[in-house]
Amino acid sequence: MPQKDREVTVNLRHTMAGALFASAALLISSAHAADLIAIITPSHDNPFFKAEADGAEAKAKELGYDVLSLVHDDDANKQSELIDTAIARGAKAIILDNAGADATVAAVKKAKDAGVPSFLIDREINASGVALAQIVSNNYQGAQLGAQKFVKLMGEKGNFVELVGKESDTNAGIRSKGYHDVIDDYPDMKMVSRQSANWSQPEAFSKMESILQASPNIKGVISGNDTMAMGAEAALKAAGRKDVIVVGFDGSNDVRDSIMQGGIKATVLQPAYQGAQLAVEQADAYVKTKTAPKSEKQLMDCVLIDDSNAGKLETFQLKP
Amino acid sequence: MEVSRARGSDSRARLSLKKKNLMRWVSVLATVMAGAPLCSCRFIPTADVQSLAAGPSQEKAFDPDKMVASDWAGKVIPYFEKKAGPFAEVRDLAAKSPEEAGARFGYRPKSGEVPWTLMVKLEGIVVEANTESRAATIGVDTTGKGKADATVQIGPALRGTTIRDALDFVSFNDFTNQIDFARYGKAFNLYVDHEVLEKLPRDALIGRKVAVTGAYSLSSPGETPLVTPVEITLGPKP
Repeated sequence: MPQKDREVTVNLRHTMAGALFASAALLISSAHAADLIAIITPSHDNPFFKAEADGAEAKAKELGYDVLSLVHDDDANKQSELIDTAIARGAKAIILDNAGADATVAAVKKAKDAGVPSFLIDREINASGVALAQIVSNNYQGAQLGAQKFVKLMGEKGNFVELVGKESDTNAGIRSKGYHDVIDDYPDMKMVSRQSANWSQPEAFSKMESILQASPNIKGVISGNDTMAMGAEAALKAAGRKDVIVVGFDGSNDVRDSIMQGGIKATVLQPAYQGAQLAVEQADAYVKTKTAPKSEKQLMDCVLIDDSNAGKLETFQLKP
Repeated sequence: MEVSRARGSDSRARLSLKKKNLMRWVSVLATVMAGAPLCSCRFIPTADVQSLAAGPSQEKAFDPDKMVASDWAGKVIPYFEKKAGPFAEVRDLAAKSPEEAGARFGYRPKSGEVPWTLMVKLEGIVVEANTESRAATIGVDTTGKGKADATVQIGPALRGTTIRDALDFVSFNDFTNQIDFARYGKAFNLYVDHEVLEKLPRDALIGRKVAVTGAYSLSSPGETPLVTPVEITLGPKP
């Protein structure tokens, strides 16, 4: 099964994969009696999710847990299976960046009913009281920072394109709202195209190519995340359009490098690594002392990244 | 529905070269295949109708503008009157100890990573007026040194969600998602603009006395505080 191949157990350092060895390793780990924390995120192809998973895993190991790190590839059915796996393996807690605000509610409830608490990171679900924590970036605040910078770079006027994320993800909607609550205050800013590229770099590349054909007269692109910004930037570069202003959201190393080379102009740092670590700390407190976080829904403020501070950015953290 | 139709016609097209006899079977099959999803599609509109029926009533239940309007005079203003401190005192304490300033004059949620929002009362002279932008501001000199040490937003476009974030009786937990929470934050800005700021003059502001009750976020310590007013009084022209 492909999903089994993707499972990374901490004990499984050796590359002697195979179901038999995996179950043997599992027996050993339960013999050691270290508690297990499951970390489930979207695909690590996007460095944002990789940073999250890494941050959570580092903190969990530091606190003495075994880690089961899985990816759901934004497939709610697969996510549901992975949660079954986490329950079956006796995970003490699940750290989850989920596969859909509505579709995830039942899966998290299933874990709760089985006695496994979930600590959500990055994305919300449309229900309270099911997960013990929902730690999300203050996307509205961050999007307003990004939009203010974008408007300034655009000289408060001109044609622009908005690339939107995956519809099932509240973060796509909230960032778009944050952008528009700022940009729409400027009557000379004209949106000529608004399309979803589903957070995907290749999809943003091809969408940008066709947008450029339909409306070459654009001055800026504001993107709901960094991978789409990278895709758009690549398409613009291929078309010889280095004049177009691109602003992203996430604070990835790729976009940092692009900013420092004069490509993408700005992005908004989400404290992904820190948020994932906070979730593990809260899970640890719950496992050890049954103390739930004081508040389920928690915000983490974002920071604008441009050429003035890009050099300090490393793996979704700002170095002092 | 479109997908299943496309799949049906596609299989027809692919097999159109085959014998007529087979064609008949295929078209029967294609119809069945197309029909099956069509049947299940009938459930979806029903569900849609139900969610549509639930949708508007939920929308009605969540009316941020109404929430703000009904809380403003009875809860928001008295809360600011009680919590706000003299600007210089709050600012100086925040520079020394954000925690202490926050505990006395501000609010922030107990979990998460959000800066303190501090509530202040300030008085001074308008020494700068940026009224070109729709996000207009005035620079206020509170010390008489001729330099602005506070920036006050005067709209119509107001940045941030400072008023919402100052309120200790508001919790993100009580909102379905960030979008509703953002709408609630924006509703405060719209209310302040409409009820407090809209009537302010935009010309010849410099030199006039001004008194403001409002809040600012400690998001960028060291920078001139950006105050969002809940009350503002402009003195007569000098």
